[in-house]
Amino acid sequence: MTLLIILLGLGVGVLVGLLGIGGGVVLVPAMVYLLHLDQHMAQGTSLFILLPPVGLGALREYWKQGQVDLRAGLLCALGMLLGGYAGSLVAFPIPSRILKGLFGCFLMLAAILLWAKSYLETRQSERDTEPNHG
Amino acid sequence: MDEGIGRGAGIFASACACGIASGMFGIGGGVLLVPLLGLLFSFSQHRAQGTSLIALIPPTGILALLSYSKEGYVSWKTGLLLIPGVFLGGVAGGFLAKKIQPERMRQIFAGILFVLGAWQALFGR
Repeated sequence: MTLLIILLGLGVGVLVGLLGIGGGVVLVPAMVYLLHLDQHMAQGTSLFILLPPVGLGALREYWKQGQVDLRAGLLCALGMLLGGYAGSLVAFPIPSRILKGLFGCFLMLAAILLWAKSYLETRQSERDTEPNHG
Repeated sequence: MDEGIGRGAGIFASACACGIASGMFGIGGGVLLVPLLGLLFSFSQHRAQGTSLIALIPPTGILALLSYSKEGYVSWKTGLLLIPGVFLGGVAGGFLAKKIQPERMRQIFAGILFVLGAWQALFGR
């Protein structure tokens, strides 16, 4: 069981670096289905995991490439700090079963946004590399 | 003047929305922040990812975590076991992201996320 948890952490970590996400979006369902934690418990534990800067190693690689907007990053951190507290207050009165369903809907929304972003970008780069006819 | 007040306010507002999702669902918020930075503020994919990572360096979830732990909704032991793996994996992933063109990878990830979400929404019991 302990080994499973450590391996799970490593797998999620690769996604963190590869996609620039916190990893909670994968951690929460993994903890619910593989480790059989209750939905609220999985969410609280996920927030705990994200508390230390787990993305620091990954960030170093992006920083070296100059792919970091510091000002926007700080604004986002502040917004997420405040929003996060408000969101937790919303989650508590919701029964675990319903919250699980809402989480599922959220994942679908995030997937659509993620897909739309990469679809538009691919289209854009195809347009840029098209030969110029005139 | 593309670094204007309006753009900053827009980014801040988007981050607040990501924060609400973060507290509600116990996630970092990056999964929402990355596409929003790209779609609304035309960040390149790598820049959106790097910026999302730096936004997650300060403990943005701390207020939410405190209110979860007050309700007894934190499994500290599981969390401690997961942290080193996520960190080391993150280094490997950041290195990989430089090497490959992760466009295809991201679409696959979006697909997996969608199926996972649909499954959890429909059969999550």
